[in-house]
Amino acid sequence: MAEIKWEKDFHTAVELAAKTHRQVFQDFWFDG
Amino acid sequence: MNTGPYSDEKVQKYLGEQFVSVKSQCFWDKRSELMKQFDIAWTPTLLVHDSTGKEHHRVVGFVPSEDFLAHLKLGRGKMFFNRFRFADAVEALSVALDQHPKAGPAPETIFFLGVAKYWQTHDPKGLRWAYDTLAERFPQSEWARRAGPYKQIPA
Repeated sequence: MAEIKWEKDFHTAVELAAKTHRQVFQDFWFDG
Repeated sequence: MNTGPYSDEKVQKYLGEQFVSVKSQCFWDKRSELMKQFDIAWTPTLLVHDSTGKEHHRVVGFVPSEDFLAHLKLGRGKMFFNRFRFADAVEALSVALDQHPKAGPAPETIFFLGVAKYWQTHDPKGLRWAYDTLAERFPQSEWARRAGPYKQIPA
């Protein structure tokens, strides 16, 4: 089973998306 | 840890191929800058951005795998739509609808697909197609009502 590679920083994710011509998916979550 | 829709192999594959995924933790007693930037008031809130970080689609609340995939694909189509890339939008939204015809976002997908078809061809039959399809398949949806004016367009 493939694991999703989660970035922790939004701006890092945007930079990576621009380099790899992908979109950004962002999950706002709460640990409660 | 991957739970909920993230445990679905189809979701994992699609996210890996098309998206860079990022988790942003929320703190209600001290809202983060990202929470303020994107007006996050409940979780989960799922955002689909383009490669510059501009938001194109949003989901608030839990969604199961089938709806989740359909939302990701709708978000891809709306990204093209918002950029006036209507041929790409038609292709992406057609894929979303073909692969997830009964998913939660299907009515919205049909609406934007019809409008994208219109922009692509300047033929109002795309709008009429959206009305007819929504009236037949999702007559109770808000999107059927939004497409209501297109009923006046000759079939």
